[in-house]
Amino acid sequence: MPIRALTNLAAMLAAAVLASTTPLPAAAQTAGTNPPPAARDWADLAKLPDWSGVWTPNISDQNAQIKSNPLPWLPAVQTVISRLEAEEKAGRPKGLWVDCLPLGMPGWMIKSHNALELLFTPGRVTVLGEVDGNRLRRIYTDGRGHPDDPDPSFHGHSIGHWEGDTLVVDTIAVLPQTYLAFSEAVGVPNGGDLHVVERIRLASPELLHWTLEIHAPKVLSKPWTTTRIWFRQRARKYDIAEGVCLQGYRRSGRDSDGFPAFLTIPQTALGNPVPPAK
Amino acid sequence: MRHTTHLIRKLAASAALTLAANVQAHHSFAMFDFEKAVTVKGTVSEFQWSNPHVVLYLNADAANGVPAQQWALELTSPGNLTRGGWTRHAFKPGDKVEVELSPLRDGNAGGALRKATLVDTGKVWTSNLRASEKPGLE
Repeated sequence: MPIRALTNLAAMLAAAVLASTTPLPAAAQTAGTNPPPAARDWADLAKLPDWSGVWTPNISDQNAQIKSNPLPWLPAVQTVISRLEAEEKAGRPKGLWVDCLPLGMPGWMIKSHNALELLFTPGRVTVLGEVDGNRLRRIYTDGRGHPDDPDPSFHGHSIGHWEGDTLVVDTIAVLPQTYLAFSEAVGVPNGGDLHVVERIRLASPELLHWTLEIHAPKVLSKPWTTTRIWFRQRARKYDIAEGVCLQGYRRSGRDSDGFPAFLTIPQTALGNPVPPAK
Repeated sequence: MRHTTHLIRKLAASAALTLAANVQAHHSFAMFDFEKAVTVKGTVSEFQWSNPHVVLYLNADAANGVPAQQWALELTSPGNLTRGGWTRHAFKPGDKVEVELSPLRDGNAGGALRKATLVDTGKVWTSNLRASEKPGLE
């Protein structure tokens, strides 16, 4: 058998093994196209672990890790962090997100106080959040790589694959302005070259362990790893609500033509609404 | 805090920490003094049910040296409050309420709402985000 034929056979066998453990769209991956899913692709989703329901965060653990698992800030950055911590302690918290721009990556996964849900469709996992404009992440699991020159964005470009029951996600191209933060008031922009590797799995039937390995060479002296914990809820009162951050900075009123409208609420620099004059 | 020294009572540190965590959401709540609890009575002027923080606007009566003034009292998000049993109908303009709040440290008439009691019905509203820290809640 010619060498090329052997190579092709090996590649086919490798693909077959991969396909047996990792659902991929049945149609061959073609650069630049998203092939329509086949019936088998939908059926393969049933082989994935059940991550349905709504997931609520373990906020107590988030807060505990501020001391138990501190970020390895570069010395110059630590100076800034220490100042922000002192300001927060003194009651003057810097409002990292009061402008209602998205928390983005990895802030959302680290510091959320709100529910999220995960959707599986052929070739993709979608993470849907709540507050902050119903933020979302698209994680491509169709075998593609990262683009050569992706546009930076708040949530970056994410590709994932399954290792058994663990979803492994690789994220790059996050905007340098996106905060790496451990509270709403203490954190710094990641500065660029951010790379996040996540490993997400059910630690028990109703507990999701979401581990992030964060490479932020502009602000951290070494990669930082943290596991965030989420609790599964099935009661419908836990269903995700719409969350438009900027709506909270408006009040319901009437415009000059008498139509219902959102009117601006004055705010303090810290993000608190100022009550109207009595 | 400007006018409310005699209205303020110290809480146990643990209780204060718990309450602080209950209401944090999009912005830090460090601008509120969770070592203090201020009680005011008044009339609801507006209940703003929107993200990222629900806000109860309250026209407070003058009492105990605190002048009549309007307070802006913040809570967590509608989604989180719904999970805690709240609805957007919890308060309506004109309702008489007694509220317990942690005030802004800068002395302005704002605070984190800790507890609200409707005077007419005795219905009590509290928020405890930590209550969602387990799976399979009803």
